[in-house]
Amino acid sequence: MASSSSSSPSFDPRMIKEPQPLPGSPGSWRRYFSFNTDAKVIGIQYIAVALLFLLVGGLLAMIMRGELITPPADLVDPTVYNGLYTMHGTVMLFLFLFPVLNGFNNLLIPPMIGAPDMAFPRLNALAFWLFPVFGVILMASFLVPGGPSGSGWWAYPPLSTQNPLGHALNGQLLWILAVAVSGVSSIMGAVNFCTTIIRMRAPGMGLFKMPIFCWTALAAQLIQLMGLPVLTAGAVMLLFDLSFGTSFFKPEGGGDPMLYQHFFWFYSHPAVYVMVLPIFGVFSELFPVYARKPLFGYHVVAIASFAITGLSLIVWVHHMFYSGTPQWMRNVFMVTTMLIAVPTGIKVFAWIATLWRGSIRLSTPMLFCLAGLFNFIFAGITGVMLATVPVDIHVGNTYFVVGHFHYVIFNMITFGVFAAIYHWFPKFTGRMYYEGLGKLHFILTFIGSTLNFLPMHWAGLMGMPRRVASYDPEFASANVLASLGAFLLGVATIPFLLNIVSSWVRGPKAPPNPWNAIGLEWLLPSPPAAENFAEDVPTVISGPYGYGLGQPLVEDQERFERRAAGLKP
Amino acid sequence: MTSLSQPAGTPAVPSPIGPEQDPGASASPGHDGHGSGHGHNAHGAHADHTMTGFVIFLASESLIFLALFVGYAVFKSSSPLWLPAGVEGLEVREPLINTVVLVSSSLVIWLAERALHRQRLGEFRAWWLLTMAMGTYFVVGQAIEWQHLPFGLASGVFGASFYLLTGFHGLHVVTGLALMALFLVRSLRPGLVLPEGKGVIAVSLFWHFVDVIWVVLFVLTYVWQRR
Amino acid sequence: MTSTGRRQPSASPNLVLVAAGLGLDALASWTMAQQSYHWLPVQASTAAPYVDNLFALETGIGTFILLGCSAVIAWTLLFNRAPKYDLDDGDPIEGNLTLEIIWTIIPLLVVLAIAWHTIGINHTLATLGGKQRLATAAPVATAALPIATGSPPSAADSAELGPIQVIARQWSWEFIYPNGVRSSELHLPVDRQIHFRLISMDVLHGFYIPAFRLKQDLIPGSVIDYRLTPSRQGRYRLRDSMFSGGYFATNQTDVVVESGADFAAWLAAAERAPLRPSFNEANDLWQQRLAKRNRGWATVPPAPPPEVNVSLDPKNTHEA
Ligand code: HEM
Ligand SMILES: [Cu+2]
Repeated sequence: MASSSSSSPSFDPRMIKEPQPLPGSPGSWRRYFSFNTDAKVIGIQYIAVALLFLLVGGLLAMIMRGELITPPADLVDPTVYNGLYTMHGTVMLFLFLFPVLNGFNNLLIPPMIGAPDMAFPRLNALAFWLFPVFGVILMASFLVPGGPSGSGWWAYPPLSTQNPLGHALNGQLLWILAVAVSGVSSIMGAVNFCTTIIRMRAPGMGLFKMPIFCWTALAAQLIQLMGLPVLTAGAVMLLFDLSFGTSFFKPEGGGDPMLYQHFFWFYSHPAVYVMVLPIFGVFSELFPVYARKPLFGYHVVAIASFAITGLSLIVWVHHMFYSGTPQWMRNVFMVTTMLIAVPTGIKVFAWIATLWRGSIRLSTPMLFCLAGLFNFIFAGITGVMLATVPVDIHVGNTYFVVGHFHYVIFNMITFGVFAAIYHWFPKFTGRMYYEGLGKLHFILTFIGSTLNFLPMHWAGLMGMPRRVASYDPEFASANVLASLGAFLLGVATIPFLLNIVSSWVRGPKAPPNPWNAIGLEWLLPSPPAAENFAEDVPTVISGPYGYGLGQPLVEDQERFERRAAGLKP
Repeated sequence: MTSLSQPAGTPAVPSPIGPEQDPGASASPGHDGHGSGHGHNAHGAHADHTMTGFVIFLASESLIFLALFVGYAVFKSSSPLWLPAGVEGLEVREPLINTVVLVSSSLVIWLAERALHRQRLGEFRAWWLLTMAMGTYFVVGQAIEWQHLPFGLASGVFGASFYLLTGFHGLHVVTGLALMALFLVRSLRPGLVLPEGKGVIAVSLFWHFVDVIWVVLFVLTYVWQRR
Repeated sequence: MTSTGRRQPSASPNLVLVAAGLGLDALASWTMAQQSYHWLPVQASTAAPYVDNLFALETGIGTFILLGCSAVIAWTLLFNRAPKYDLDDGDPIEGNLTLEIIWTIIPLLVVLAIAWHTIGINHTLATLGGKQRLATAAPVATAALPIATGSPPSAADSAELGPIQVIARQWSWEFIYPNGVRSSELHLPVDRQIHFRLISMDVLHGFYIPAFRLKQDLIPGSVIDYRLTPSRQGRYRLRDSMFSGGYFATNQTDVVVESGADFAAWLAAAERAPLRPSFNEANDLWQQRLAKRNRGWATVPPAPPPEVNVSLDPKNTHEA
């Protein structure tokens, strides 16, 4: 497979797509810092940079929680607090969650469907390299006069177009640019993932033989394709209002601040499903492996993903119940929002039924999945509460909402991310992680996150608004608990990072299929060669979750297994 | 879309095994009705991917326009301030001529595509050039119109929406022209623009897209003037 | 796929156990629903009981689902765990159509029922009146504002008080009563419908009184009609709920609900009091910041404190 790297002067991606050397071997790390077009390298690049930004976002959060541990604004100036929380939200969404999930898309989709790479490898690399670009743009806003944007991740005008210092270069401008570049990168990614899934599946892999992760990835990327353009339109108008004196959202010129909210939420509600759908995929992959059972109701779970995609596009006004939305519209969007609980519920019940009469192994990924499932049921219930207008009128824009979405985004989605990292770690690094450190990470994370986000619901019910730098003393107890939880979460990253780094450097070598899992990716060596199956793609003959059914997944399964293990066929 | 700019037929996914090496090694055929082939097996497949990707991209891009159109309609029907003081409305005659030129260029580019398909390279270049000329006429006409308008970008929400819509569309026309120029240059070097080349088809598709958008835009801004 | 053996069918709960579990679940849910009233502030408006009852209902249903699901998960963790070094698979159950239909239909019916019930409540509450858009960021807040297009006062509304103009700025609240009195804390008579006109002079703000369970955004360029009826005397907190920049967190004041007679007396006394600048925390903080060489990130300076007959007094303590 090796090709000499000196051949032609023109661009030849082959040069940088050598088979993956084992970690530790000379030169192996260097490709992670290059314009490499191998989806597996790009996947790891995405995940590594995203985890870096998770630390940045976490640090911001801990300063915020430090401020909020006492009622008055005594640690930082309130304007600084505003900037911190704005950047925290933006970093976590645009620099951690979206990229880390794109990382998994890159790592998992091609091997899972037996493709050698993405459909457009160079576009893929370009999309990745935009990520550090908008990361730097966003971080640079800490350095401009006046500091970063302090108008929240919603950036609602007219607040976001006030530009207090009047400088042409300001934090809000950089914020909009970063979000826009991130949108371009996401569109590139979405085009690539969709094309790959639609056109590059292994022989025999019909849509209904595809792993659920690919279904959910497709459903999520479809949302990106439909929602992002609308956000882009809104962001362009906002940019013009901020920098070129237009008045799309300024009442003085006949503009309408409410229109921005529609543009924003038309994308940003579905965006939460862009984040959660892949984790539905992760759950659907992992529960069968660790319960040793087929996924319960595979077809329905697959189709429910698309029901969610469809519904997610028609519920956005539930973020605007209290902003002057007429009654009929509130009623309509309340009903659509409640309906989305149905396909979501189907998935939850299917996972529980998958556990039923299984043969359950509580290793680290499974622990994260189980806790994530529990937290998600809780968050779904608070979600339905928020969907009912009178309750939302009371708790909307309070800490109750902060509790709700952190329960989803951290206590479920990020748990799912951790589960996925542990589960596929051996496959893509070729090393096993340390189970003990993994369990420690899980326990600290579970306690920390519960302590952090559960009391927020109570504070919100009692009427504590979100985004405040100071608050009335009656909310102190809830906030002290939340702050302690946040610091515990900070501590929890230590075993995690220790585990990842030390296992990658000197963990025991991983066999091709350490979890005895079913799936094309497990028929590859650990780590897989640059082009996965390259020319020799297996023909899929049965469904993706045949645990206990005793059917081979592909034709000639034994040959692939032996090859993956490095044995002679 | 970087993949557009590469010569048609070049594999987007490079294979470590060169095409000259044993094609028989690909034991698993790519086409069996379910999953479709890998680029490695059949060389045309990548161009197909490019078209799939491009169509997905265009569908997504059209939604930006849809959003802008909806925004325009909302502003127009609900804003307490619409036309800036002293502005009666938009002049329609020149833009109408512009529209006719742009829309007929869709026909011309189709002729170019057909000529290429029949392997008549000279004819292809002629039609292709004519399309470019018509597109240029449109852009220049638009620029002249902009210069003579009695309102600017900052003239209330009407001015802002008008310039944003026409400007964003104009950007697409210019992009289309640039792509056409690229392929015109390519056609001068034999072997780079092939009859089955998906690049030309993609550009032509893009051009139709730009035209359709314009028709909607024209109806929305020039035809629908009364409030 | 190396494992071939299949484990013995694992323990299944019998019917009695299931029934007992459901009963316990229902009991716990009912208890939680009762408990949920204690997680909320006192009920000080006619809207509050509707909100709280709905919340209690949802808490009950939610608890039932959460506990039910958790119980099943816990059961599997207790009885379906693989013994150490056991590599066997579980029962290869791939699905069950009846079950899948049931758990689609029942949640569907439940959420539709909740939605139906809630639409009724929405109809009853109907706090939001008309909205009138103006082509200006800062409508001049005087009694001469255009009459908003809300529902015209009917005979039943004749006891209505209003309109009281609620003016939000970065970062202060100002209330103008029909007789022209201005205050920076809101006084309201109990048990009487109040008609507000919500006006923002700069950016979005939120008019939120947790004890009333009500909130409504103030939108620059729009005048919004809003109606509510306080139902309990006391001093409550009014909080800006829609993030408004810089000193957003300080943009809070008190709402005093008092008897009709007390309110009338207060209004009469206020009319005699001279206008003076209100207490305003944002301005105090801003002055402190300027004194400390203006360190911090960009913000517009606070609007000057409103000139009021009666100012908010930070020394008062609120009930909720
Ligand atoms: C059963 C499903 C769910 C329902 C019914 C639901 C409902 C809602 C509603 C009504 C709100 C608006 C609250 C307000 O701002 O006043 C909301 C906020 C939010 N939800 Fe959910 N939700 C559900 C699941 C999810 C999921 C799966 C995610 C994430 C992946 C999510 C993330 C969020 C976020 C981020 C916000 C707040 C955004 C913000 O205000 O900054 N929700 N949810
Ligand atoms: Cu939402």
